[in-house]
Amino acid sequence: MAMIPWRGRTLPVATLTSLREEMNDLLSRFWSHTSEPFGLAEWSPALDVSETDDAVLVHAEIPGIDPKELDIAVVGNTLTLRGEKKSETEQEGTNYHRVERRYGAFTRSLRLPAAVDAEHVTAKAAAGVLEIRLPKREEAKAKRIEIKAD
Amino acid sequence: MADPIDVPVETNHNPLQPPESYFVPATDVYETADGLTLVAEMPGIRPDGLAVTVEENVLVIRGAPGPEASDGEVLLKEFTAGEFYRAFQLPADYDTERIEAGLRQGVLTLTLPKSERLKPRRIEVKVE
Repeated sequence: MAMIPWRGRTLPVATLTSLREEMNDLLSRFWSHTSEPFGLAEWSPALDVSETDDAVLVHAEIPGIDPKELDIAVVGNTLTLRGEKKSETEQEGTNYHRVERRYGAFTRSLRLPAAVDAEHVTAKAAAGVLEIRLPKREEAKAKRIEIKAD
Repeated sequence: MADPIDVPVETNHNPLQPPESYFVPATDVYETADGLTLVAEMPGIRPDGLAVTVEENVLVIRGAPGPEASDGEVLLKEFTAGEFYRAFQLPADYDTERIEAGLRQGVLTLTLPKSERLKPRRIEVKVE
C-alpha cells in the first residue's frame, strides 16, 4: 500500500465515521440476507413429556400431519420422532396473505428419563396430538420399599 | 384485496369474549380465485369445544381442549395447546353467509367464497 504523505492536514472525522457506519450497515444487510429464507427454517413439534411409576408419556403436537407418515423409533434411552408436515397443495394463482404455520421435514430426538421396554411402546393420535406411551422396564420402575418397624 | 387483520382484543365487541388466558393459533391465510381460506392450527381441540362466529365482518374462532390426561410428573412442557382464541377483521369482499368450516387433525379450515357481485360476470348480449 502506498504511503500517503501526511501534509499536516487532518481528515474530517465525519467522513470516517460515516464510512464506518456504511460498512457496518452493508455487513449487517449481508448477514441478514443469508439467514434462512422462510420455509427452510428448522421446525419440530412441541413436546410434553411426563413420567409415571410405570411409563414415560410423550405428547407431540402434530396438527395437520398424517400419523401414518410418522416414524417413531426407540434406540436405547433415546426416542426419535421423524416426519414431515406438508402444506396443502397449491393451486395456480394462490395469493398468500399470511403464512404463520411452520412446514417441512423434522427430526426430533429425546433422551428418556428411564429405561423403557421398546417392544411395548404404543402410540395413538387424536385431534392433532400424538401420544406415545413407553412402558418402563421392570428394573426402572419405582419400587416401594417396605420399612419394617419393630 | 385487503388482508384480514387481527382485531386488537381490547376493541373487540363480539359476543365471544376472549378467555383470561389463551393461545393464538398459527394461521395461514390465502386467497384463490374462488375465495379466501384460513387455516388455523389448534391441536388438541375437541369438536364440541370449537366455536366459530362471524358478526359484522369480524370472524372469531375459539377452541377449548379436551381434558388433560395429567398423570405423572411433568418433565417437559412445550405445548401451546390449551384454549385458543383469535379474532380477524375480514375485508368486505367475501360472502360471510356462505362460510364453511372443517376440523381435521387439529387443523381448522375456513373458506369464504367471494361475494357474487365481485366475481367477473359474463354479460350476455342479445343480438337482434
